Order: sequence, then C-alpha cells, then structure tokens
Amino acid sequence: MKRRLARTAGVLLLGALGAVAPASGATSASQRAVAHIADTAHLHLVKASGASLHEVGPVSGTLSGSMQAVLNVSASFSGEFTISTGRGTIKGHGTAVPHGSGRYESFAGSIVVTGGSGRYTHVHGRGGLFGTFDRRTFLFVIQTTGELSD
Amino acid sequence: MSLAVIVFVCLPAAAHAALGVSLDATLTPERLGHSTAVGLGFQIRERGGRVPPPLTEVDLQYPSELGIATSGLGVATCVPATLESLGVEGCPADSVMGYGTALTELPGAPARLRETNGLTIVRGPTEGGHLTFLINATGAAPVITALTFPAVLLPARAPYGERLLARIPPTPSFPGAPDVAVVKMHATLGSPGLLYNERVGNKVLTYHPAGILLPSRCPRGGFQFAARLGFQDGSHAVARTTVECPRAKAS
Repeated sequence: MKRRLARTAGVLLLGALGAVAPASGATSASQRAVAHIADTAHLHLVKASGASLHEVGPVSGTLSGSMQAVLNVSASFSGEFTISTGRGTIKGHGTAVPHGSGRYESFAGSIVVTGGSGRYTHVHGRGGLFGTFDRRTFLFVIQTTGELSD
Repeated sequence: MSLAVIVFVCLPAAAHAALGVSLDATLTPERLGHSTAVGLGFQIRERGGRVPPPLTEVDLQYPSELGIATSGLGVATCVPATLESLGVEGCPADSVMGYGTALTELPGAPARLRETNGLTIVRGPTEGGHLTFLINATGAAPVITALTFPAVLLPARAPYGERLLARIPPTPSFPGAPDVAVVKMHATLGSPGLLYNERVGNKVLTYHPAGILLPSRCPRGGFQFAARLGFQDGSHAVARTTVECPRAKAS
C-alpha cells in the first residue's frame, strides 16, 4: 500500500502521464503507471448537425493541449473526445446528465479513456465529468477528473 | 413543406369501441443542415361517431437527429406555479417554444359541443436530469379551460431517439358530465412568430430563435415519428408517420 502511494505521489510530482515514460517503461503489469488528471476544456462550436455538436477548444490542467469532441445533446448528453498534446492523443467517450434550467445547463457524468496514439497508445482510465453548457452560444466548459493508467 | 405519410395503427380497447388515430408531422422548411419548425398533430376518431374517451397520456417519439435540445428554444424557464397563476404572460418570452391548438368535445352533451383551445409550449425546470416542457391549454367557451401539464424529454428506442411523455390531467366539463375529450391536437415547436430578448451590454436585442436544427444528412427511411395515446378507460392507440427525406436537387 505504502509503495503504491509512493508511486502515485511520484507520478503526481511528474505532473502528467505524458511525463512518466521512463517510469512506465520500467514497470511490470502489476506496477502500472498511474496519473491523476484534472483538466478543463473550453469548447466552442465548429459545426452543428441536428442534436450533434462538433466542438473544439483548448485544454489546460494536468494535460495541456486541445480537445475535439462530438457531443450529442439530447435527453442526456453523450460524446466522444480526442485530446491532442505534444506527446500524442488521448481518446475516449463519456455520458452526462444535465441539471439546471434555461440558457445555462450544468451536467455531471463520467468518462472512459479508451486509448490514444504516441505516448498514450496504451493509456486507459475512468473519471468524472462536470461542466456547463450555454444553449444560446453552444459554448461548453468541461472539467474532467480521474486516473489514467498505462 | 415536407410530405407526411400518415399511417393508421389502431389498438382497440377491450372495454371500448375501436379508436382510429392518425399522426401527422411536418418540418417547415425541410432543408437539411438548417433550422426548421417541427409541426406535430394527431386526430382521434371513434367508429360510430361517438366522442372518444378523454385523453390521459401522449407519448410522442421522434428521431434523435432532430436537435430539440440544441435548438436554442426555451433559453429561459417558467415554473408551473407561475404558468398556472399568471398564464403565459407571466412567463419570460424566452421560455416560449411553440404554439398549437387542441380541439375538444364534451361527451354526453345533448348536442355535439366542440371547443378550440389554444396551446402554448414553454420550457419548464429540468426534472431529474430531464428537459421538461410545460403545456398550457386555455379555452373560453363552452367550458373555461386553464390547464397546465408537463411533458418530459426521455430517451427512446430505435428507430426513434427521443420521446416526449405528457400525462394529461382530467379536464372537468359540466357538473355530473364526463371529462372533456381531446379529438384533435396540433402544435409547432419553433413557431416563426417567436421573439426572444437578449441583453448585450446596456442594450436589449430582440431576435427570432433559430428553431430546431435538422441534421446534415437525412436519416435512412426519413424522419420517423410515432405517438402512443392513452385514454381514461385504459385503452390506448398507436400511430406512426414519416417525413420523407427531401429530394436531391437536379443537377
């Protein structure tokens, strides 16, 4: 347990999973590299088609880069996303339930990271998804938290 | 204007004569990738010319490709208490999503008494994570009607993507007489006459909300709609219709 905590702390000190390549390379299957992530994306609309919104925008936090997302805004929210960083891309999907009323809606749900490319080819993980949606301008602010494993 | 193919599907009730229900849907204009007004209506007929039993539930299913939640309609909300006490005038203009009419009849009346009620659809508070519309029905004669009931947006099974489920409370008619029966209803979401306000700096700008966004590609088989209607006597009826895909322009 102590060793795992120490490992996690070490990973956190390195900041993000993208920075743990040497540690990851040295780990066995039972000693996975784990990184806690907490990121915020500010997305704006590129294209809308019915209930489907194609959005892009910057991501900041543990990971730094940009996000592209195809979001389905209907009775519930769902979507697929790709985060691009200088070290590769991270892909995943998520679902959320909207709250609130009127122009601004908040939502909460979960994400699943399914893989990626470059440094993140084998990455996977799960996390929480929170955010707000402006129904007039289609601006999204999406916060994600969770763990990524390699 | 789109072409609506009307299909009759009738599930006769055990305790009631067979009901015939037709559903119609329109997308005006039907231009893929552009905003539209969605018109939906149904008509209920009972064989033998009798007045159908009072309507208690409307479960309307439509394609997920219709961007009702992304429409920009209903960017403000109205709470049921305001709508019931003050009427639509008490609600923010930006909460109004559409208008319609409902034709009702009074069962058991000595002569056939009909009444046209005005319908206004406003955005209500989200309930349990579900987008909610409030439907306000008003009528003046022969029965004074002021009715508000919610319709909740829920996921639906394929080939539909979403459903609007409304439970309609009973509307009393005359003392000792059966409740009022709905025989025809039509409503448009994204009516062209809607006017919203937006504050930009110190100015208030007035604009027409864009309406419901159609997808860039038509769903296979067209835009499919279905309605399941429930009645006070426990019977129900189902009707389906399809708005065909727009024809490609000749090159």
